[in-house]
Amino acid sequence: MFKSLREKLSSVKESISRTIHDKDKEKVTSLEDEIETISKKEDLSKEEKAQKLGFIKKAKTFLLEGESILNEKDLEEPLWNLELALMEGNVALLVVEAIVSSVKSNLIGRKKKLLAHTDEIVEDVLYESIKNVIKNDGLSFDEIIEKSDKPVVILFVGVNGTGKTTTIAKVAKRLKDKGYSVVLASGDTYRTGALEQLEIHGERLGLKVIKHQYGSDPSAVIYDAIEHAKARGIDVVLADTAGRMHTNSNLMRELQKIKRINSPDLTIFVDEAIAGNDALERAKLFDEAIGLDGTILTKLDTDAKGGTAISISYITGKPIFFFGTGQSYDDLIIFQEDWLLNKIFGNDSEEEN
Amino acid sequence: MILGNLGNSLKETFNKLARLNKIDKKIAEEIIKDVQRALLQADVNVKLVMKLSENIKKRALKEEVLEGFDAKEHISKIIYEEFSNILGKVTEIELKRQNIMMVGLQGSGKTTSTAKLAKYFQRKGLKTCVICADTFRPGAYDQLSQLCKVHSIPFYGEKGNENAVDVVKNGLNEMKEYEVKIVDTAGRHALEDDLIQEMKEINAVLKPDHKFLVLDAAIGQEAEVQSRKFSEAIGITGVIITKLDGTAKGGGALSAVSETGSSIAFIGVGERIDDLEKFDPDSFISKLVGLGDLKSLMERVQESVKPDEMAVEEVLKGKFTLKEMYKQFEAINKMGPFNQLLQMIPFGGFGIDLKDKDYEKTKYKLDRYKIIMDSMTEYELENPACFDSSRIRRVAIGSGSDIAEVRDLLNYYKTLKKAFGMFKGGNIRGLPGKFMKMFGREIKI
Repeated sequence: MFKSLREKLSSVKESISRTIHDKDKEKVTSLEDEIETISKKEDLSKEEKAQKLGFIKKAKTFLLEGESILNEKDLEEPLWNLELALMEGNVALLVVEAIVSSVKSNLIGRKKKLLAHTDEIVEDVLYESIKNVIKNDGLSFDEIIEKSDKPVVILFVGVNGTGKTTTIAKVAKRLKDKGYSVVLASGDTYRTGALEQLEIHGERLGLKVIKHQYGSDPSAVIYDAIEHAKARGIDVVLADTAGRMHTNSNLMRELQKIKRINSPDLTIFVDEAIAGNDALERAKLFDEAIGLDGTILTKLDTDAKGGTAISISYITGKPIFFFGTGQSYDDLIIFQEDWLLNKIFGNDSEEEN
Repeated sequence: MILGNLGNSLKETFNKLARLNKIDKKIAEEIIKDVQRALLQADVNVKLVMKLSENIKKRALKEEVLEGFDAKEHISKIIYEEFSNILGKVTEIELKRQNIMMVGLQGSGKTTSTAKLAKYFQRKGLKTCVICADTFRPGAYDQLSQLCKVHSIPFYGEKGNENAVDVVKNGLNEMKEYEVKIVDTAGRHALEDDLIQEMKEINAVLKPDHKFLVLDAAIGQEAEVQSRKFSEAIGITGVIITKLDGTAKGGGALSAVSETGSSIAFIGVGERIDDLEKFDPDSFISKLVGLGDLKSLMERVQESVKPDEMAVEEVLKGKFTLKEMYKQFEAINKMGPFNQLLQMIPFGGFGIDLKDKDYEKTKYKLDRYKIIMDSMTEYELENPACFDSSRIRRVAIGSGSDIAEVRDLLNYYKTLKKAFGMFKGGNIRGLPGKFMKMFGREIKI
């Protein structure tokens, strides 16, 4: 995972520094050519030659030791390549533009020693730009669970088929392994098979599932689960909801109601890493409608390019808690920005896939 | 909507082109950048975008602008043709005895599409059944069996049997009598070797006539690789794009079609069982280039509304009273989600950009109008000219609205009447434009 984004970015990096390098080198070469032509000219006296050469040689030394300033034109081509690389890495266009313009404003006007290596400058600038997008200073998932009053109520929302139910099972397993008691609330009362799906997970993990019938009010199911947790002293309530299109205002209102009645401690947006530009749109609309506290990004094992993580972080400004990386319960890894940055920029060639 | 309205994104550039009869390099490049951006934002594969746009640019500069065309039409035509090359085909679905296999990534909507497709064949009069070969995901069996039960679709599945290939074998035996057998399989991705192997084995047993790759409209750059791998493993005969009722542009489908050498068969546009449409490349590409899609609008009208409900006869004869307008409001409601309908209308070309909120407002307004009309007498409906201030006041009180709203309604009626008046003289040329302009102006609240 992230391999291709990393490769793309590193080739852009090279292309930017090559452009800069070539530009300087051209100037120097042309000066050297001139020196040669002048030296070979026979119609000039020694003094005349020395005078001309002296001037050109000075220019050359100045070039070699001096500094040049990057301008917009130099960067046009490499930046377009950067744009493409990010887009191929599945970063949404809006976010790509934000990153590219930040890279651009950081590079333009920057002085650098001629013929010096520019890789590092470029890499630093790119690294900082992406880091700014994904950084988050909030608490980690584990800290939130630890510090919140029990029962901690967590609501999982998202569009259809992103993996909410599977993710809930994985999070439940993780919490259980850490010694917390967990109850699941079957808040997807719409999709056929949803109750059974969560119930099977509950059975396998040895967890109680609170459910009503299909078509019943999801707010009430979750309410019951919270009451159950309070009565039995259970630490965490994980509440499933039906997948819904962010454009369906009736269903979004239903979510607002669920939130109003049950005031969850965390509302987690579940989306898939294979989603493209639309990830931005739906994260935005979900956030506007109900307010999100964080994201879990699923299906990273599909060799997804990881750009979706950057897009969603950018638009919600909220942390990504976990990545889902497979179909078994333990395929859930904690998201850490250093880890992601290392995946994108690092040299670690070891690949899971 | 697939790819959204590329025409909209190109509008500004296109405006510069209007009335030009030559395209120079600078303008061509500007347009190409816009085309690229629009396609990339719609999640079309980057390499494909480059290829497409390069072709468009080359042709735009090389080919002469035809007599009587301006530069804008010239470019539109080229864009239209280039897209036709990729998307112009449609997967032929014969109405005969056949086996169908549904494959795709996790959560792309295979199970829902399976039920929708079964219903599609049932509507066409074929004896259709569904076999559940998703033996992996918890609840998959229940999901499909419940869906089938609700919609009276014969179902075969074996709860507890984890061997999908055996289930398919048994299912084929048990369900021999059915003409169309649709097999739903577990979600998988290209890197899961054992699941890819399972898919190959099901393919060998089922010998499907159609292998549909189900693709989420929101899929990004991943679409290319995944569809290539599916195609390599079993060969894909058609693509079904799902969840097009959201904001996703479905550009991944373009990559999938180009990678698998297949075509789009169906598109899923909602959660209801009937929300599956046959893909129509012509109207899709027209929409894409910004011509609007009057064709599928008309089809939809014909399918769901009987002529007398739409009061077409009367309107064509020139009779258009509040009664006819009422019938039309009802017809519009019947045609399904209001915004889907409005999206087919070429607003882009008339500078009207309807947002979801506006759709809702419009729908709300039409509902209010109906309520007001319910408070009118038969005589008033037939003779809208009779309204004086006392009648207006009575209707306002009766319907719980106010005088201004009733007047609003009457004005709206007048505008529509004027628009429909144009049908009479056989003046069809340019009519949709004029009509939509008026309709649009009214709608923009």
